[in-house]
Amino acid sequence: MPHHWGMAVDLDRCTGCEACVVACHAENNIATVGDSEAARGRAMHWIRVERYWEGEFPEVKVKFRPVFCQQCDNAPCEPVCPTYASAHSEEGLNAQIYNRCIGTRYCANACTYNVRFFNFYPPAWEKPLHLQLNPDVSVREGGVMEKCTFCVQRINAAEVAAGMQKRTLMDGEIQPACVQSCTANALVFGDLNDPESAVSKLAESPRGTKLLEELGTKPKVTYLLKESWHESRGA
Amino acid sequence: MDRRDFLKITAASGASATLASCGNPEHSMVRFIPEEELSGGVAVWKPSICPLCPAGCGMLVRVMDGEAEVIRNGKKGTIQMGLAKKLEGNPNHPISQGKLCVRGQAAIQVTYHPDRIIHPLKRSGARGTGPFQEITWDEAMSMLVSQLNGLAASGNQKAAVFLTKPMRDQRQTLISEFSSRFGASVPVTFDPLGDHVLRRANARSFGYDQLPTFDIGRSRYVLSFGADFLGTWNSPVTQSIGYGDMRQGKLQDQPAKRGKFVQFEARMSQTGANADEWIPVNPGTEGVLALGLAHVIMKAGLRKPEAVGAAGSQIAGWPGLADYAPEEVEKRTGVKAERVKRIAKEFANNGPAIAIIGGSPLAHTNGMFGALAVNALNALIGNAGAGNGESPMGFMRQPKPNADQNRHFESFIADAAQNNERVKVLLLHEANPVYGSPPAWRVRETLSKIPFIASFGSFIDETSILADLILPDHSFLESWVDHIAESGDSGPVIGLAPPAMHALHQTRAMPDVLLDASRKLAKPLGPPMPWKSYEEMLKASVEAVDPSKDAWKSAQQLGGVMPPANVSLPAPQTTRGGSPLSYSEPQFDGDAGQFPFHFLPFQSQAFLDGSLAHLPWLQELPDVLTTAMWSSWVELNPQTAARLGIAAGDTIEVSSNHGNLQSPAVISPGIAPNIIAMPMGQGHETFTRFASGRGANPISILAPMTEPETGSLAWAATRVRVAKVQSPSKSKLILFAGSLREHPEDIGR
Repeated sequence: MPHHWGMAVDLDRCTGCEACVVACHAENNIATVGDSEAARGRAMHWIRVERYWEGEFPEVKVKFRPVFCQQCDNAPCEPVCPTYASAHSEEGLNAQIYNRCIGTRYCANACTYNVRFFNFYPPAWEKPLHLQLNPDVSVREGGVMEKCTFCVQRINAAEVAAGMQKRTLMDGEIQPACVQSCTANALVFGDLNDPESAVSKLAESPRGTKLLEELGTKPKVTYLLKESWHESRGA
Repeated sequence: MDRRDFLKITAASGASATLASCGNPEHSMVRFIPEEELSGGVAVWKPSICPLCPAGCGMLVRVMDGEAEVIRNGKKGTIQMGLAKKLEGNPNHPISQGKLCVRGQAAIQVTYHPDRIIHPLKRSGARGTGPFQEITWDEAMSMLVSQLNGLAASGNQKAAVFLTKPMRDQRQTLISEFSSRFGASVPVTFDPLGDHVLRRANARSFGYDQLPTFDIGRSRYVLSFGADFLGTWNSPVTQSIGYGDMRQGKLQDQPAKRGKFVQFEARMSQTGANADEWIPVNPGTEGVLALGLAHVIMKAGLRKPEAVGAAGSQIAGWPGLADYAPEEVEKRTGVKAERVKRIAKEFANNGPAIAIIGGSPLAHTNGMFGALAVNALNALIGNAGAGNGESPMGFMRQPKPNADQNRHFESFIADAAQNNERVKVLLLHEANPVYGSPPAWRVRETLSKIPFIASFGSFIDETSILADLILPDHSFLESWVDHIAESGDSGPVIGLAPPAMHALHQTRAMPDVLLDASRKLAKPLGPPMPWKSYEEMLKASVEAVDPSKDAWKSAQQLGGVMPPANVSLPAPQTTRGGSPLSYSEPQFDGDAGQFPFHFLPFQSQAFLDGSLAHLPWLQELPDVLTTAMWSSWVELNPQTAARLGIAAGDTIEVSSNHGNLQSPAVISPGIAPNIIAMPMGQGHETFTRFASGRGANPISILAPMTEPETGSLAWAATRVRVAKVQSPSKSKLILFAGSLREHPEDIGR
């Protein structure tokens, strides 16, 4: 059975520290667009931490929710692409094939989660910032759509390495950059086709929810809801 | 050109490379023979240490081969070299445990920054105006040495002084040793936002002049008084790892009982946003609240006050605390008496529990009282400080950092301002006091009068622009690095790593420049420095704490000397005592009638005190509570905004007795109506293309209030007024939130 990659996000652990955000930039060669482009809504963050206020001062609370491509099994971005640049992989990823992309931006319009980002200009890597580029990840051109890939380069590298050693992948062996840096261990990545994997077990949690699941997108990211404290629980 | 040089330079396309007339620049590019063995496309992981904050997280650097434009032997060309590609936490390192924070992830941009100083510079225009001229290292070294020789010739060595950021490595020792052997003044540390008050309080209460380690993962109840311990304070990575465990257990374990977290603060921080209960407190009354909780716990007989020891004797009125009954506490702090009683009982009944104080509560004129009060509460609950046994709070064993013996900048600048003949040669290492000091300290004026300033920094900022000579340091990835952790584990943790890559530019490691200068002095140091290189010094320091045969080799491989290494270290100092303190009202600069708001600057998630504002990834990082990017902002309560007719995004002017600034408004439900808060970090005049001329600096309107026992800046003790600006200057608030897509009506706005 092929792998079916998924993620779990424990909102009771997430602190909103945003280590995931810059870890993703560094791993995936995401350029800054600068202040004037950012002011036009063109900043690119494959993962963002959404913040929700609840209540009013002084009885106020905050909830954080890291949002990134949900790698939908029924992805609205895929059928709208005229060039098949947005396509489903055998392992369940919504692949974005940069060489096919002609920049119609239909996919970003169709995406329910606002996680696709368009390169309005060729990315700027003012020398020698270009030396930090990860050679395992394509640098996108202007006019191309990009998004979270679950760090497919890390998945491929681990699969190749395991194949050469004639063994199967271990649970937890692959960590996308956001997961690796997540300080509070809120992000867990793994194979949803392996019932023993940590991510499969978390997907079964009674706290588990999916984002906008009612739209029928079949997202592969489980959000575990924040709990509240009860003095009596568990002790 | 001799044969050797010819071999070093192999032309990219035959002999045409040497022809200056060739039109295609690629053909004139010289290609150098690599200085190291590399396999194409294969990543190597090398240890390093994050230099961006005092926590000292161990890193692993992913190094791969690549092609860089460099200068070698005075010739420009390209070279195949190992280049750092990605930073991760070092899983062997007890502080980072394989994780890094948002800033650590961006640290790689320090090395590859397009505005790094890439060769030595000499001032070539009026001081402070900017023009610098490239010089050779030989020239630079002789300028430095002749200045030092000049002082020695006139017997005025005391007129030389080092000014550094707070350091927890052997560079600190090297600077101290050089200073004392040369006869220079005691080195000065610039750390106005540092934790001097808390260290002093910990010495009084527990006998440890250092920051505590909190085992948050094992705690079941965490009370925090203003500490941004998940974001910017103490050891945020370790503390965040612990926080995750406190909520839902270790990843693979069955979750234990979920811990509770209560935050007391007047403006919601990133840390406070995670609290089960977020409770606003009147600024400067946090100590009253802590003693109110202690009062309830003792009165209910939940803990015995006798077990508290020295921590109790620091507090006037201990153990009865008659002045801190819940009703009295409510009057002063604004926290309801019933809530004080309930939280006190929850805290006492749901152990292991800890109380943490950090940030603005310590930055009031009565900050010492707040710290001693929280220490007493901790001692009452059973956290007496040693960290042995069951207590989730303790103090790491460590070699004593020399920074303790350094002079604080506050007293240095006051003396220098009064007697400007004293300092003749200032040696500046990565401190930016011109940006980071309140205007009343007159730092720019005072430093400008010093006849000679040499800077070792990698960037031109508001202070290093005053330098006459710049001797640019390697970046941390190009240097031998080391770090003695102050907190974060039961300890000891001594981080250490060799350079992860060769130097990209014509820079030299500061410690080796200093050792080189010490050998070139006309009058030899007496006795001479005992090390030939920084590497040799680090080797000696490792062998001093770990005498085993493989210690040096294994430290380089692992990224440091870490438990369970065979390390023997002296116990920390045990100074105790001081006369018992009772609560005194916090003092604020500015008349309450004229300046009705408390001004609360806070360290930003992206830039800390502003020292990281030059990193583009951090500039474009959406602040997690406001989603602001590339901007400054001022936070105010919705009621306050409505009363003053201020809408979100309006430019407002914030004025104190000491200055004013303009910034866009963010209306936030997480701030008390009498508070105006503002992130630090922006408002740089000169700090690379990414930070210069952007936003406003809250430190520029702070009053020079101090905490009396330590003399530290009380940076939360300024009052301000605010008004909407009718004709805003330039500052615009850029938010990531809202529409991620461009709408036609926005175009052309």
